[in-house]
Amino acid sequence: MIRETIALIARDLKRWYRTPAQIILVFTTPLMWLLLFGQAFNIGRLAQIGDTMTDLRLVFGGATDYFSFMAIGQTAFIMLFASFFSGVSILWDRKFGFLSKLQVAPIPRAVIPLSRIASSLVKSMLQAAVVIVLAASFVLVPGLSGLRFSPSFGFADALGLALFLVLLGISLSALFVALGLIVRNEETLFGLINLLNFPLMFTSSALIPIALMPDWLRTIALYNPITFVVDGMRQLVFDTSVGAEYTVAVDLLGIGIFSALMIGLGALLARRALLRG
Amino acid sequence: MANLSDEGATKDESMSSEDVVVVVDQLEKIYSGDVRAVDSISFNVERGEIFGFLGPNGAGKTTTISILTTQTLPTGGRAEVLGYDVVKEPGKVRRGIGLVPQELTVDDELTGRENMELQGSLYGVPYSDAKERIDELLDLVRLADSAARKVKTYSGGMKKRLELAEGLIHRPEVLFLDEPTLGLDIQTRTSMWEHINKLKKETNMTIFLTTHYLEEADALCDRIAIIDHGNVIALDTPGELKKAVGGDVIEIEVTDCDEDILEIINGVPGIALIDGTCAENKARIKVPDSGAALPKILTNFITRDIQVASVMVKKPSLDQAFLEFTGRELRDEESTAGNSKKEAGARKGRFRRRR
Ligand SMILES: Nc1ncnc2c1ncn2[C@@H]1O[C@H](COP(=O)(O)OP(=O)(O)O)[C@@H](O)[C@H]1O
Ligand SMILES: [Mg+2]
Repeated sequence: MIRETIALIARDLKRWYRTPAQIILVFTTPLMWLLLFGQAFNIGRLAQIGDTMTDLRLVFGGATDYFSFMAIGQTAFIMLFASFFSGVSILWDRKFGFLSKLQVAPIPRAVIPLSRIASSLVKSMLQAAVVIVLAASFVLVPGLSGLRFSPSFGFADALGLALFLVLLGISLSALFVALGLIVRNEETLFGLINLLNFPLMFTSSALIPIALMPDWLRTIALYNPITFVVDGMRQLVFDTSVGAEYTVAVDLLGIGIFSALMIGLGALLARRALLRG
Repeated sequence: MANLSDEGATKDESMSSEDVVVVVDQLEKIYSGDVRAVDSISFNVERGEIFGFLGPNGAGKTTTISILTTQTLPTGGRAEVLGYDVVKEPGKVRRGIGLVPQELTVDDELTGRENMELQGSLYGVPYSDAKERIDELLDLVRLADSAARKVKTYSGGMKKRLELAEGLIHRPEVLFLDEPTLGLDIQTRTSMWEHINKLKKETNMTIFLTTHYLEEADALCDRIAIIDHGNVIALDTPGELKKAVGGDVIEIEVTDCDEDILEIINGVPGIALIDGTCAENKARIKVPDSGAALPKILTNFITRDIQVASVMVKKPSLDQAFLEFTGRELRDEESTAGNSKKEAGARKGRFRRRR
């Protein structure tokens, strides 16, 4: 069980890091978002124009500027996209016969989705780390502001941050890998994933502050699993509960429940998909 | 229990289960839309033999293999591989079998060796043996020199050979080869045949292979089942199948003869003509065994002082056998249980290449 899982994780990762385009994307995708969304299109200024007296930390989840706020949201965003690609990759494996090779092999069926979730997690966590490092290093560029950590940010906070991201990564990749297994048609899968991705992203407080949302959207956002994740992470990074929606414990509970649900749903779908027809 | 010494006992009954590696009993697979891909077939595969499934595209070969290799569930009947039921004990079946599928499954982004290592991990080949075994197999399929290259730089034949080596990594008792030379050029095909024959000779592995190339079935198989529209319509050794066609054809041309040579041949003692035609100085006859008949005929001609200008013997081919059993030529036919467009396209190309 362990040996074949590790072998399959290694295979997925080799396919990834040996493709130059993939590695370029790891850097350019977050760079583009951070620059365009975080720096150029600066919601912080909009918020300031309205009312100069407002404590911006209330709007930006404890951050004093929009860029720091959205950089944290960007890590969640990258988890979403990395997981989505893992789902697509398993459909390609079906198309090119690799999946049937696994189905003939004397391995527990669960190894097939589990190894893919694990490799997805490795990739997405690395990409999230790239986002954070890139965002923080923006401060070195004249004229740009960077992601500003609280001076008290320490090892325990970093672990907490990683835990939030790991839980998000597990839940999303469990869902997408299962979808990749059960959906046999690329167009359908892409359509389905878009149907999930965009609402999931834009009804959360990842990129848009909840304070700036209309009431109806705010209600949705408060129950969006990504909101729990970014809400918790911001409190750890900026070391304040000012502007937070929930306590860190509730955030953890929220994403924990979501993970359990997605793992359950994923297992159900994957099982069905791997049954012999 | 059948009496082992009873001459009349059928083969199956007289064999201990040790010698039967695959048992297929009224196996059936009906896909949705009443597509009878496999329509109640029965046969056994014996230990150590190369058993061939010969039939046109869409005949149900891949479906049968995919049931036997635990990828697809049958809709009826029963199948056992190595004594395990393919429906109830897929895990045990999987451990004992190797599969070289019709479609390539090797990973393009990995090197040849990495593909082998992955396969070794999937099949639990002990670490201590893995390297040696991989080297050995890469040698066998003559890929040792290209093992460090990514598979995407391989030719189609190399990929197919790598696929064969992968199927052998855990030393399976039964190897399933689904169209092992599909789409390969003649040289590569011949070398694949050599690999397969070598395997049989050196390891006594049981091999179940499918093909729609008659030459391939003829060159490799100990026994052949001709399958068409999901049915096994004949099952025998290549030799017997050809015999069923009705014997060899001999063409004799004489330089000058007043008498009717067909009459003369018919009068030769010990000659049993199945069929015969004669035009001018040329007779075309069909006999059960040309090797025995020809000397007799020629000796007879010499005693009568008839000058023979030319002699030609045509052994029956599996082409003719297929024609005999199905009423159609294999190469022109596309079995039509299903309706995959992609398959149809591939088929056309394949047949064009052949001729
Ligand atoms: N998954 C499937 N669903 C429906 N029909 C199928 C499926 N797989 C194969 N068939 C049909 O079953 C028949 C036998 O196919 P197959 O076993 O692939 O033939 P062969 O390998 O001999 O070319 C064909 O008519 C094919 O179209
Ligand atoms: Mg086939």
